[in-house]
Formats: sequence, structure tokens, C-alpha cells
Amino acid sequence: MIHLLAFFLYLGAFILWVRFLLSGARGDGPNVASAVVGVAVVVHAAALGSFWARYGELPLAGPGAALSSLAFVGGMALLALLPVRQVSRVGVALLPFITVCLGIALLVGIRPSDQALVFQGPGFVLHVTFAFLGYQGLAMASAAGFLYLIQHHELKAKRMGRFFHFIPPLATLDLLGQIGVWVGFVALTLALGFGWAWTVQHPGVISLSDPKVLWAILSWAVFAVVLLLRRGRGRREYRSALASVLGFSLILGSYLVIRLTSPGSGFLP
Amino acid sequence: MDRPKTLPLAVVGVSHRTAPVEVRERMAFAPSEAEQALLELRSLAGVEEAVLLSTCNRSEFYLFPAVDRRGLAAAEELFRSHAGDLERPTADFLFRRHGEGVVRHLFQVSSGLDSMVTGEAEIQGQVRDAYERATSLQVHPPMAGPVLNRLFQMALSVGGQVRAHTAIGEGSASVASVAVELARKIFGSLRGKRVLVMGAGATAELMVEALARDGVRGIFVANRTLERAVPLAEKLHGHALSMDRLVEALPAVDIILSSTAAPHPVLPHSLFREAFPRGRRRPLLAIDIAIPRDIDPRIGDESEVFLYNVDDLRKIVDDHVRVRAGAVPAAERIIQQHSQEFRSWFASLEVVPVIRNMRERAEAHRQAEIERLFRGLAHLEEEDRARVEVFSRRLLNKLLHDPTVRLRKGMVDGAGADLVDAVRFLYGVDAEGRPEEEAPNPPTSREEGEGEAIQSKEWSG
Repeated sequence: MIHLLAFFLYLGAFILWVRFLLSGARGDGPNVASAVVGVAVVVHAAALGSFWARYGELPLAGPGAALSSLAFVGGMALLALLPVRQVSRVGVALLPFITVCLGIALLVGIRPSDQALVFQGPGFVLHVTFAFLGYQGLAMASAAGFLYLIQHHELKAKRMGRFFHFIPPLATLDLLGQIGVWVGFVALTLALGFGWAWTVQHPGVISLSDPKVLWAILSWAVFAVVLLLRRGRGRREYRSALASVLGFSLILGSYLVIRLTSPGSGFLP
Repeated sequence: MDRPKTLPLAVVGVSHRTAPVEVRERMAFAPSEAEQALLELRSLAGVEEAVLLSTCNRSEFYLFPAVDRRGLAAAEELFRSHAGDLERPTADFLFRRHGEGVVRHLFQVSSGLDSMVTGEAEIQGQVRDAYERATSLQVHPPMAGPVLNRLFQMALSVGGQVRAHTAIGEGSASVASVAVELARKIFGSLRGKRVLVMGAGATAELMVEALARDGVRGIFVANRTLERAVPLAEKLHGHALSMDRLVEALPAVDIILSSTAAPHPVLPHSLFREAFPRGRRRPLLAIDIAIPRDIDPRIGDESEVFLYNVDDLRKIVDDHVRVRAGAVPAAERIIQQHSQEFRSWFASLEVVPVIRNMRERAEAHRQAEIERLFRGLAHLEEEDRARVEVFSRRLLNKLLHDPTVRLRKGMVDGAGADLVDAVRFLYGVDAEGRPEEEAPNPPTSREEGEGEAIQSKEWSG
């Protein structure tokens, strides 16, 4: 029930941002939308806390619980951006991801995993938490990149309409994208490091050909490519924005393919 | 005092709608002159409250009270003496508004509806300055007293609301401000960004000044001859260079402003390629307001170059002006609503002394009756006396609550004048809220007797 409330609050915040955009970035929309995001994150934290209290485990295992935690990390990231008025508008691109994650979590049910996990403990918690942080970092970079591409297009098309007024400056979006990718890359590298350490301690539990291992490596490679693309000559910012959007789409797409083709893989989330 | 049918406010002045710039500049008041003018106005015409709003587009005296023509005549005389000899009589250029028209006019001014460029934001600060100048005058009573104080506070608030809730201030409405807005949307902060100015046109100069206010540093002025570049470079605190050094300068700059009179492009595509053989790495904003164009249009196809020519900028400005014009009805609705609010507030000033007097008189009667009652009920304990006291207060408050609320509401709804007259008649109160005559204490000998009867029946031990 509390999760459902958080879902509607995220959805409400998204609608408020869209309304603000359509109004030509006028009125006190950002303040209201930011306040709703703030409330949504608090309610979401309460929901996850209640899960922990009820089941005696962190909401990291089980698809529903894990997706909810992933959405929560996104909500926290957005909350951190709220004090910077212009940057907080990235919420319009990030909130759909957060809302969809939480929506799917509600659909599949937010409950502990019915499978007994082979390895548990602090290493597992760190592995999953850093992985979530990594994916949210890329989600943030992708949201910023998406807005960058729209703003770039508006500037090239010489239009100063709703999008132009609403979307933050190119330089701001580029900086946010860089921060997202770097934070995500470091976090995912750490997540993989923790995961690898545990597989060493528990040999035979997981193999390199396991879909989730392949997916994690693919994700890490996407991060590496996005970072490498910044180093070339010409159109660095544009390339980086495009790479973030495409990379994130690739990770999401491959996740869906793996989930659909190997449903019994115990893939997490 | 007879109640005026309209608000006793007036405004007289000149604006870009009534006078050309040659006249407006003669009628403009510098801040120190404005203070002196306000003091003169008070001493000459006995105006209680006055504010002078003087900008490059308007000079206006706001006056209260304006029940006769003395204040207006004095203000017109001030304009006449300040402007000196004009080709036509000063009065020909002046406009006048009275009553609610003053409120609407000031709200339109502060919202930018009466500005030369609809929706311009600078006027809001100028209205604030005028108001603060009047309030800062060390005179008694204050130059911006309760009425103009309220009027200007509301005007500033209305201006803010109109800008926040309508498209009246949307987009930039001048070529220079469009350039700044574009630069902000590309670079975020302009602090430390470098500008190359090609040519020495006035618009380019305006643009550089606007960019410099946003923190742009490192201004290069390029001209065909170095000598002609030097004066503008010095004026803008920049560096002069000749056109043949463009290739060296281009990689260092973030913004190009071009307005030469050259008959051919001064920045051909080949030169750009020479400066950036592998393409530009960082964004470059290029604004070309020259006719014929200075910057080869093919440069705009380069990936990180955002090139705008004079037609692009004009189209953007026109779009913004159209959007702003479309927002006028919505802005007028906000202004209308707040004009009515001001009218109600002003009317409520009239009802306050009436309500106060009505309650004071009722309270006096209550106290007199209580004292009379307690004299006849001397045996009552303190606790019982307190209860009776509380009861009488409550009863009085309940009886007066509805009339008070309805009277206030009546003022807001515009039907208050008749109600005030009725209350004055019923309670015998004059226009200032004072009792017209001291009413005799109502109790009669029969009532005294009734009190004693009550005592004997109900409160005797």
C-alpha cells in the first residue's frame, strides 16, 4: 500500500513536470513537482523500511523488491538534484524510468525471493547496492543525454519554444551526464568486483556463461564505450549524450531479452 | 466628509504613447530631482501622498487624494517648468487617469503591458525604485502613505504574478537579449567565455555589453584595419586584432558576433576549416547580423556550431512578441481581479471606524448593564459574577458577529456604501465613526424594576 502511494507520487511529479513543460516553463511548477518528488522519496523509504521490518531482509533479492530498490536509488539521485533549479528539470526524463521500475515491481509483487540464495551477507548487499547505483548513474546520464539531444536539435533548428525554455543549458546537461557516467562506471566496477570476490569464495555457484554475468559484463562494456567516446575529436558532448541514451537503451533491451529467453535463470532483479 | 464615488486617486504624466523621445527626455526626472518634485507637489497642492515614476519611456505622478484638480494642476505645472519651452504646449503630451483607471494603469505598467516592448521586465524594478524613493523621503506624513503604499505593493505583486502565470515575458524581445539567451542555453554560465566581435556595429556593441554583464571575459575586436578596431576594443576592455589573424583567434573563442559592412563573407568556410581542420570540439555560437552576411552559411552545418543570422534572430523576436501579445488578455484578467481587490481594500478603510464604533458602543452598553445588574445582585459570589460577565460578552459577540462579517463582505462585494449608511443611521455614527450624539443609557425605571424582580425570584438566597 505504501509502495502504491510512492508510485502515484512519482507519477504525479512526472505529470507536474510535463505540465510545466507544456506551459512554456511558467508558474511555480518546479517547486510543486520538487516537493512531490521529496514526499515520494520519503514515502518510498518508508515502504522499503517496512519491507525490511516485516521480512527481516533488505529488499534486494526478488524481482519486485529489487526493482523497487533500484527505483528508490533513482529517486534519491533526483532528490539530490532538486536544490539546483535548472538541473532538477532532468526529472522529466528520469521520472518515467523510476515510475516504470516501481510499477513493474508492484505488478510482479514486492516480496522476498522464494529462492534460497546461495550467497548472502554484506558482500551481496554491497554488490547489489553498487550495481543499482551504477545503473541509476547511467539512467541519469541517459536522461541528461536525452534532454541534451532535444536541446541541441532546438538550437540547430533555431527554435526557441517550450523545449528550449524548459530544458537546461547544453553545458549543464553535459556535466550532469559526465557525473552520471563516472559515478555509474565506478559503482558498477565495484559491484562487479564484489560479485567476483564472492564467486571466488563460492566456486561453482555461478558460471561466466550465466545470463546475469554476461549482462553485467555487457553493461560495464557499455559504460567503458560511453567514456571512451568522450575522448575522440569533435562533437564530444553530442557523442557522449547519444552514447548514454543508446547505451542505456541497449542495457534495458538486453535485460528484457534475457528475462524473456531465460526466465528460470534466477536473474536478479 | 462626503464619500467619493470613485477612488480619489489620479495620475498625470507622459509616456512613449503620448510623447516622442525629445519630449520625454525633457520631462524625465533624475532621482534627486524626483524627490524635490514630490516635496514641491506637497507644499504647493497639499497632496498627502505622491510617487513619481520616471524612466526613459515615462514620467508619471501618482497622487492621493485627488478630490479636486489642485494636485493635478500642480503636477502639470511641475512638468511645464521642468521641460522648459517645447514646440507645443506641455499639456498636449500629458495623459491623465482618475479613480480605478489609476490602479489599472499602474498594474499595467508594472506588468509590462504599457511598455514599448510588451512584457519587458525592467519596468518592475523601476516601479520599485520609484516607490522606494517616495518611502525613503524623511517627511511626515510619509510621501507614500497607506494608500499609495498599498497600491505600489500590489502593483509589484501583480507584475510578478502576471510574469509568472502568463507568457507576457516569454522569450527575449530584442536582438541583443536573444543573443544572450542563446548563449546561456548553450554555455550555461557565461563566466570566462570569450567573444570575437567582427566589425564595429552598434547592435554588436550592445550584444557584447549584454554578454559582458553576464560574465563574459576576453573580448577580441577584429576589423579590416587594426586602427579601426582599437577604439571599440578599448571601450569594451578587449583586444584589437586585424582580420588576417582570424584563424589564430577562432579556436580560442566561444561566441562570434559579426556586423561588418563588407560586401562578401569575412569568415568563409575555407577559413573556418583552416582554423578547425578536424572540426570544432567545443560549441561555438555565431551571430551574424550583417547584410550581406559575414559568416558563410555552410559553417552553420558544422556539428558544434550554432549559427544565427539577422533573419533568424528577427524571426525569434517576432515569435516572442506574438506570444507576448497573445498573453495580454490573460494578463488583463489578473489586473482586473487585483484592481477590484484594491477597490475593496480601499472601501474597507471606510468601514473600519464604523465597525469599531459600533462595537465600542455595544461594549459600553454591556458594561453599564452588567454594573447595574451587579449592583442589584450584591450577594453574588465572584465566580458567579465572572460567569455572568462571560455570558454577556459571548452574547454581545454573537449578536455583533453577523453584522460585522456581512458589513465587511458587503464592502468587498461593492454594496457596502449603503450598508455603511444604514449602520451610521442605526447607530448614530458620523463619517469618521464617532457617535453623532451620546445616546442615553437605555434602562428605564421599569427595567430597573424588572431587574429587581429577577433578583427576588431567581438569585435571592
